[in-house]
Amino acid sequence: MLRYVLTRFAIWIPSVLVVMLAVYALAFYGAGDPIKLIFLRAPGDVAYNPQRIEAIRESAGLNKPFIVQFGLYIWNLLHGQFGNSLTSGRSVWAMVSAAAPVSFQLALCSIILTAVVAIPLGMIAALNQNSRIDYAILGSALFLWAIPAYVAGPMLMVGLIVLLPGASVPYGWGGIFDVRILLPLLVLSFQPIALIVRQTRAAVIEVLSEDFVRTARAKGVPEIIVALRHILRPVLTPVVTQLGLIMITIVNGAIFVELVFGLPGLGRLTVQALINSDYPVILAITLIGSFLVMVSNLLVDVLYPLLDPRANDSRRSR
Amino acid sequence: MSDQSDKTNISRRNALKLGLAAGVGLTVFGMNARIVMAEEGQVLKVANPAFDQDWSPLRGGGRTFRWNSIWWASPMYFDSEGNIKPYVFTSWESADNTVWTFKLDPKAVFSDGSKITSADVKGSWEVSSMPNTKNQRADQVLSRVKGYAEIAAGSGTELTGVATPDEGTVVVTLGAADPIFFMRLANHIAPITKASQSRGSDGEEIIDWYKPDSKPVFSGPFKLTSIDIDAGKLSFEPNENFFGPKPKLARIDITSIEDNVTATSLIKSGEFNAHTELVTSTIIQDLGPEFSAGPLIPTSQHFWFNISRAPMDDPKVRQALIMAVDRDGLFKASYPDGPHKKADQILNSVPGAENSGFEPYPYDPAAAKKLLAESTYGGPERLPKILFVGISGPAIQAAAQFIAEQWRQNLGITAVDMKPQQDSYAGPDQNSVQIFRDDVGTRVPDAVSYLAGSIASTSSNAQNKLGGYKNDKVDSALAEATTKAADDPQRIALAQEAQKAFREDWAFIPWYSQAMSRWATKEVKGLEKNLDWQVVEPWNISIG
Repeated sequence: MLRYVLTRFAIWIPSVLVVMLAVYALAFYGAGDPIKLIFLRAPGDVAYNPQRIEAIRESAGLNKPFIVQFGLYIWNLLHGQFGNSLTSGRSVWAMVSAAAPVSFQLALCSIILTAVVAIPLGMIAALNQNSRIDYAILGSALFLWAIPAYVAGPMLMVGLIVLLPGASVPYGWGGIFDVRILLPLLVLSFQPIALIVRQTRAAVIEVLSEDFVRTARAKGVPEIIVALRHILRPVLTPVVTQLGLIMITIVNGAIFVELVFGLPGLGRLTVQALINSDYPVILAITLIGSFLVMVSNLLVDVLYPLLDPRANDSRRSR
Repeated sequence: MSDQSDKTNISRRNALKLGLAAGVGLTVFGMNARIVMAEEGQVLKVANPAFDQDWSPLRGGGRTFRWNSIWWASPMYFDSEGNIKPYVFTSWESADNTVWTFKLDPKAVFSDGSKITSADVKGSWEVSSMPNTKNQRADQVLSRVKGYAEIAAGSGTELTGVATPDEGTVVVTLGAADPIFFMRLANHIAPITKASQSRGSDGEEIIDWYKPDSKPVFSGPFKLTSIDIDAGKLSFEPNENFFGPKPKLARIDITSIEDNVTATSLIKSGEFNAHTELVTSTIIQDLGPEFSAGPLIPTSQHFWFNISRAPMDDPKVRQALIMAVDRDGLFKASYPDGPHKKADQILNSVPGAENSGFEPYPYDPAAAKKLLAESTYGGPERLPKILFVGISGPAIQAAAQFIAEQWRQNLGITAVDMKPQQDSYAGPDQNSVQIFRDDVGTRVPDAVSYLAGSIASTSSNAQNKLGGYKNDKVDSALAEATTKAADDPQRIALAQEAQKAFREDWAFIPWYSQAMSRWATKEVKGLEKNLDWQVVEPWNISIG
């Protein structure tokens, strides 16, 4: 297993380097000069001095050729230095390490909520296939799937204020046990829940026609035991895979959710960095994002054999 | 029915009771939150529209700059009427407009009770001038001071033109005479800090020197008591040693709230009562006219033509494009309920803006069509595509769409495109951009300064947005005007002449004169702002 994990990391490193080279090139050659942006951010009679801008650029090392800058960035990264933000001068590591725990906790809670809500609903829908319950669950899932986070967030917030005059607007971060996390968590989980409901339903319908389910029912095993012991376990393998993959959806969705609900996470930091063309920050977030996706996929691979022993056997036989 | 079923089956009546209880509970919880606010005293709760990571008062611009006056004192300040008032400096005089002598208020002290000295003033100006400080507007205040050019270019660390003969006197020597130099200082662009705290031995700004962990001292009516940049929260409390009037507020809390819908909801619900800058197309309907009311300031928004690019290189095309736009309709399309005012010219809210002699461009579709036909292009079909940039935000989009529609209806022009990017537009058409939407303005109530920053050939606006615009009449009138005293009628007359000469080049579509919004609920008193975007007298802010 250790060898497997190390191999995965070895593959991940060149992939991330290519991604970072692309991001760096986009930031370097693309629109938006971070130093000029500092001088153009505010309205009014901004008349910047070209000499002054050149002095700032030189001091930040931004006058060096592209490949030199990128090489320096990677060299510093290998020494554990993420550099400083071009606009605020703050340590990028300090900025990212303050924001990442918020996003991770939110993503983790969203995954748990998705699993707890969507898997049972998907099973209920499948066990009541083509009934009103099935249609209601599927219809709701489709509805949730269709609402983007940037629409759902403000709508729920405004709805809350209208329905409960006097209630506080759920804004800010107080940890995962704070009541203010409910709305952002719901918005963030809408699409993953919809996806997993449909995935679970399809998987359960497939398993229902298997011989072992028919045998269990024929033996008079109570329906709840059949569902939990015989149906759920084989269904979990593809569903858990999907849960790992939706981590990307959650990280993407978090950008809007964090903005709307004022959560100081990576999404909010990303937007700020993009607006400012602050590429040391953008690169650090890209690195963390790809690491997050890689780790979640790795976790899924490790969980596979635990859920389905056949997966372990097949790996061994190879 | 058994006890068991009683516990598991909730009747409709019980469900209603439960819902009612939850509703009452939440309402009481919300009310309690407000009672806590009331018990704490008067707390100004401000929403800041971005997750700003840098609150150094030395940046001289940006959103964070808008709150500088609550924690830093300036040499002098302008009130909302444009009158100059003493602050750290009590007097200013110059015999030749080149050497200026300023006297400090002997009562002026920092928050630890130590005196604000001339050395602090000099050190603050010097650190603001250093390139690495990235002060966005130090040029506007200090560029004429001897030694500034060397510091700004990174080859010096001292303003040689600033002398401190004693701790209560600052003598400034300029490279050339400037009759309004004293007015240029009356703002927070280079605020007065304790130089030994803000500036290191190498002359550079000390990182994070202003944060409470560094135990800084402050010169304004409030002091920064807590800052959590990663969460986007700052708190300010009264500076008990402030040398001016005692502040009325118990605290000012600033929280980053990027989403306009959320910010509007929070202000509507009473949880917040002010905003750094809230620009939405429904602001009046959402938060009432008082929220964004304010006096007009010397800043205006226009659509500038790059006269060096086709088809704007033909004066008849420019004239046709301007005359084909109904500018009353243009203004109504963008700000139907205010708070801004339609503009006919560049100057506004400075002496000389009224009765300037600038004749507004007429709306004459028939004449416009004729001019286009007489141009070297002969008609709309041979014009290259017209590309606008700086078209960001709903009001700006509405205005640009209105212009494009007028050109379609009145001139038959259909090839028009719009992009949000402004200075750094880097699309495939970057060399074809002909129209830049942008603002111009000044922070001193002076017509010459206003026009020098927008139509003089040395201005960034003329060089970049207007495509290297140069009119000798404009330049010479403004150059002569700068030598006249601030209150000399000739200064104003020459500025008016320059603006009239600019008119004949048909290089812009006037749009609106900007109002300085309060961005505060009607309960908040004393939040009037000046040309510097600063709260004029932050010690006077109160709620209710």
